[in-house]
Amino acid sequence: MRGTCIELKQLEFRWPGATRPLLQIPELIITRGEHVLLRGASGSGKSTLLSLIAGIHQAATNQVFVLGQDLGKLSQRQRDKLRANEIGYIFQQFNLLPYLSAWQNVVLAQQFSPARRERLREHSESHKYLAKQLLQHLGLNADELERPAHQLSVGQQQRVAAARALFGNPALIIADEPTSALDADHRDNFIEILFDACKKHGTTLLFVTHDGSLAHHFDRAIELAEINTANEEAI
Amino acid sequence: MIRLALASLANRKASAWLTILAIAVSTLLLLGVERVRTQTQENFANTISGTDLIVGARTGSTQLLLSSVFHIGAMNNSLSWQSYEYLQQLPGVAWHIPMALGDSFSSYPVVGTTSAFFEYFQYGNRKALQLSQGDIFHDDDTDAAVLGAEVARRLNLNIGDELTIAHGSGGISFSDHDTHPFIVRGILAPTATPADQALYIPLAGLGLVHGEIVEDEQAHDHDHDHAHEQPVYTLSAVLLGLSNKPLALRLQRQINTYEGEPLTAIMPGLALTELWRTLNLFEKALFAVSALVVATGLLGMLTTLLASLRERRREMAVLRSIGAGPFTIFGLLVSEAFLLAVAGIALGISILFLILGFGADWLLINTGMLLRATPLTAVEWIFAGAVLGAAILLSFIPAWRAYRNALADGLTIRL
Repeated sequence: MRGTCIELKQLEFRWPGATRPLLQIPELIITRGEHVLLRGASGSGKSTLLSLIAGIHQAATNQVFVLGQDLGKLSQRQRDKLRANEIGYIFQQFNLLPYLSAWQNVVLAQQFSPARRERLREHSESHKYLAKQLLQHLGLNADELERPAHQLSVGQQQRVAAARALFGNPALIIADEPTSALDADHRDNFIEILFDACKKHGTTLLFVTHDGSLAHHFDRAIELAEINTANEEAI
Repeated sequence: MIRLALASLANRKASAWLTILAIAVSTLLLLGVERVRTQTQENFANTISGTDLIVGARTGSTQLLLSSVFHIGAMNNSLSWQSYEYLQQLPGVAWHIPMALGDSFSSYPVVGTTSAFFEYFQYGNRKALQLSQGDIFHDDDTDAAVLGAEVARRLNLNIGDELTIAHGSGGISFSDHDTHPFIVRGILAPTATPADQALYIPLAGLGLVHGEIVEDEQAHDHDHDHAHEQPVYTLSAVLLGLSNKPLALRLQRQINTYEGEPLTAIMPGLALTELWRTLNLFEKALFAVSALVVATGLLGMLTTLLASLRERRREMAVLRSIGAGPFTIFGLLVSEAFLLAVAGIALGISILFLILGFGADWLLINTGMLLRATPLTAVEWIFAGAVLGAAILLSFIPAWRAYRNALADGLTIRL
């Protein structure tokens, strides 16, 4: 049942008004369930690539496929829907709405996603219960679950963010430098937890970082500079 | 989405409360002014009813109305007793109330009249005067006075108290008629009309203090027919009631062209409307001020929402990442404005009714303004709705900016 999760074909993207393309990627295929590390220096187009895959910005047709859907053909609304349903996104930091508690932040993941709600329905427990269960599994204690997000440590906040991304089992987790605000101990711990959770549900993980030392955790490490031919041409 | 907006607002409690308060105060003012305006107009129109014609010496209709009904301003001209007798015998005249003005007691006007005043004068929706204490005077009494409710309360006068009226309308007069005191015989129930603010004495008594008749002459002959007697030389105004209302127009023309003396007859309803129209400007100014206050309140809301956008770009990016579309972001801000406006309007209305409920008596006693805590009228609902509509409309500005930000920022988190 292993299909393709992300497929880039002759991707070429430039910002409106820019003379040179920022991204030119002949081919990239990430299969379902794969854990991939994408390494790139800052300013190399990492964030842009992620926003294209997450459907925030629109690529041209026939260039970006996520779960078999050509994002270039989907409307803004359809891309938002796809992201809500199938993509969990983890930021570098400040992932949470500071005024909601940890578990409320997690439950938020299904707010815009009928598909996640549908998948959660397989469990008989309430969303609240499931969110708390997931958070506890990721190492938060009962007291921390109820605390407003801004009272949690950065490490705890990233776990809540991971829990929200995972809640309702989306097919793909995109993590944009999620460990850069963590120290080494917390970083390894966080990656382990994230890996465990992704393995358990067969979730694809696209982990973006500038830190190549994390590569040994992953099935595959991709160097953005190697697949992106845009800069070569420019030189 | 409303839940999310609520939680987000709760996170910014201080500015949210201030905004709600600003909207509440502006709503309170807008509805309060509207209420004062309509109810004052209503009370104004209620000052006199049942009277078909007011007759005085030749003068402007507004002046005649002001002096005879509101006791404002002095009548320079008077009409003679002969003219009064002429008016009484006109066809269709069912009743007549003579009024002689010009004297005062502690700056409250004194009205010389007959017992017909208590019998026929009506205000509001055809309500007759009621006594709260004591009794009315009779036409041949010379030293009895009946007080308006406010006069009695303000001056703390009771039945049996003596008072000396002064010539002229000032508070202090050098020509006090102190040789002839009056004794309080009755106190009228409050009417919330200028009738509360006057003292009523019989014409015979007034004539006596003015030296127009001699006391002995009046006292010894009780079965004398007073209708043909002349207790005073002149009157300020006469109120006429007709047996047949449509007659008023013809009678008015007839009185206005009376050859014995130049007279003016006015129809109180028409004159009141005319007078109210001259007060229109105040009404408009009041409305303009309260509309501006509403605008200020809403601009305050706009400012806080716009200012909050900067610090909330992170929040927006998070919402985008979990699949919220730009329109959801737009809707979130509009919902916030909606919640703020609804809370503000509800608070404003509650305060208004608190004030009306607990302060109405105080207002009536201290300002003579009769305001009732009646349910919101259609116009008031429309005003409240207009405030809400304006708030939602204004919120499109920050909502649109948030929408643009959401599109431009995407998933980058800016601080």
